[in-house]
Amino acid sequence: MQRDVGSLPLAPALRARLVAAGFQTAQEVLETGPCGLSKEIGISKEEALEALQVVRQECHSDATRTAGAPGTSRKCTALELLEQEQAQGFIITFCSALDNVLGGGVQLTKITEICGAPGVGKTQLCMQLAVDVQIPECFGGLAGEAVFIDTEGSFMVDRVVDIAAACVQHCQLIAEAHQEEDHLKALETFSLESILSHIYYFRCRDYTELLAEVYLLPDFLSEHSKVRLVVIDGIAFPFRHDFEDLSLRTRLLNGLAQQLIIIANDHKAAVVLTNQMTTRIGQSQSTLVPALGESWGHAATVRLIFHWDNNQRLATLYKSPSQKESTIPYHITPHGFRDVQPPAVTQNPEGTEMNPRKRLRREEEK
Amino acid sequence: MAAKKLRRARLSQELCERLSRHQITTCQDFLCLSLLDLMKVTGQSYGNVQKLLCKVSLACAPKMQTAYEMKVRRAVNPSSAFLSTSLHGLDKVLHGGVPCGSLTEITSPPGCGKTQFCIMMSVLATLPISMGGLNGAVIYIDTESAFSAERLVEIAGNRFPAYFDSDEKLFSMTCSVYLYRELTCGSVLKRIKSLEEEIISKKVKLIIIDSVASVVRKEFDTKLQGNLTERSNFLARGASLLKYLAEEFSIPVILTNQITTRLSNGPAIQADLVSPADDLSLSEGASGGRKRESGCVTAALGNTWSHSVNTRLILQYHDLPTRQIRVAKSPVAPFSTFFYTIEKSGFVLQDAAPKTTLPTKTALLGQVL
Repeated sequence: MQRDVGSLPLAPALRARLVAAGFQTAQEVLETGPCGLSKEIGISKEEALEALQVVRQECHSDATRTAGAPGTSRKCTALELLEQEQAQGFIITFCSALDNVLGGGVQLTKITEICGAPGVGKTQLCMQLAVDVQIPECFGGLAGEAVFIDTEGSFMVDRVVDIAAACVQHCQLIAEAHQEEDHLKALETFSLESILSHIYYFRCRDYTELLAEVYLLPDFLSEHSKVRLVVIDGIAFPFRHDFEDLSLRTRLLNGLAQQLIIIANDHKAAVVLTNQMTTRIGQSQSTLVPALGESWGHAATVRLIFHWDNNQRLATLYKSPSQKESTIPYHITPHGFRDVQPPAVTQNPEGTEMNPRKRLRREEEK
Repeated sequence: MAAKKLRRARLSQELCERLSRHQITTCQDFLCLSLLDLMKVTGQSYGNVQKLLCKVSLACAPKMQTAYEMKVRRAVNPSSAFLSTSLHGLDKVLHGGVPCGSLTEITSPPGCGKTQFCIMMSVLATLPISMGGLNGAVIYIDTESAFSAERLVEIAGNRFPAYFDSDEKLFSMTCSVYLYRELTCGSVLKRIKSLEEEIISKKVKLIIIDSVASVVRKEFDTKLQGNLTERSNFLARGASLLKYLAEEFSIPVILTNQITTRLSNGPAIQADLVSPADDLSLSEGASGGRKRESGCVTAALGNTWSHSVNTRLILQYHDLPTRQIRVAKSPVAPFSTFFYTIEKSGFVLQDAAPKTTLPTKTALLGQVL
């Protein structure tokens, strides 16, 4: 009620007039009423009524916020947060080494960034995650849907078909081994067709379309409330050419990062971004570093760097608030993103090529 | 989309006029401003400005499609998803051939056969769909003046003697290959920009640029300050224009590139960060120690360009006259190597069995350079 007039979300011209007329707090504005307001500032009665409604709404939401109403309040104790985090699911990557390094998989409500040289497997992992987020809950998944925003044109439907088919087959083998009711029922809806129908694909050709899409994303996610993963494949590509004004680029990227954090939190979704590598020319040597500059490094909560060592692909966890930095090898097979198989695999009753540790974890979760 | 005028985004006339007084005429200008700036410029309240943002975003945002719809669309027209290279082993590994709708790059040392490959693909694109072609015209942008029409006719006559049995067939095939000689970067870019209308009017089904590297490396000397960013800008702009054309019309785009030696002048070459997609010396048996002394041989035009192309094929010398073609970067194919020779009919694959795991080690570094 004692809120300063200058901080109200009215049109700037209107605010300037209120301040010039001597109004200082929101209470004074509310007490005056529309007719008095219109006479004092010189605006029409309809405009005055509109302004009053805005002010009233602002004060009302302020009041509920201070009274601690559970819906609007954003404060909670660390114990509540701990319980939330432990109950939260992860999106598995089908590479158990990478899942372990990440602490279970790609976390919801956080932004994960994947940087890497060309051809190392960033888009492959994104496509794998878009399929994995849809695994039904009885198999240890999240039964969610995925939004895939593509800026580079590297999304290949045929590849997603292969990955999805392998995932369905994997679940079928588990269901056959365990023979439980809910497994078989879930398999009826978990088919190739349903997986593909729940990947929502947007192709953004330049940064304006990307900005527009991210503005519209909250509405889209409210309509499709089961979405648990938002992938932006190639956040670097539209921002790396045609930008003379680097400060504008930094501002736009920061704005994007903020919006994505809000989306991740509000809709309990994981946001995965892929970034390119660029050559930084030093005094005596040149190194490959993630693109988009130093300040962008702060945007993501978790940062993975994919790179090569001779012919082996490696993933390094470079930045994480809760996990240790480590490097693991991985493989891209015709079935998707997988572990590197050690030469002697332990006995596996189901006889699949999957890592046996993955099966154990699913049993524990049940 | 970005240059869309705000008038067409269904904003009111007076609002558009007010915005144009502040030099905001396109959707791009509008979306680049922060919320507070927008409030100042439009003179509206916070809630109204958010509604305006939604309206403008709706005007520029891309349409949503589900992956299932995309699959169905491709299934309806399977032959139009790839251009077969008529090299059976290579086609099998690439799941059909050179993919439509994305950029494919051919890199090699000089004289390995890039231009021959491009000429062969031109012939293939003009073939009818029943024979594995795309039944369309070809736009060939030549920056090195290496294209030879006689070779085109020779390949066509020798590779498909049953089809090109008469002079008229050969004549109509040559009529559908449109050759443009562009000798500077600026003219290449201008030509790419003008392609959209030509593709529609001439029913073009393949775009070839031979070669991107020669014209770029002629004009941009990366040792001079500022040239590196200009070069990257030019390449990135060209790449995004070509990607747009490739996707919009669902046609393949083939580009050729050269090789360069990345010299190491310090202990930290970070050789592990150079992916096998770029590194040609991997197949030449270079050990780690030798790499550090002589530098590694990679595809030219830098890292950013490697991100822009979707498929990369590397041609190299093997035991003359045999050469090898390697799939170095592909979203659908693993690393594989095939051997070929260049005959009258174009490329002829040697082995029936490709090597699909690690690249082979042959030691021909001295002979190549």
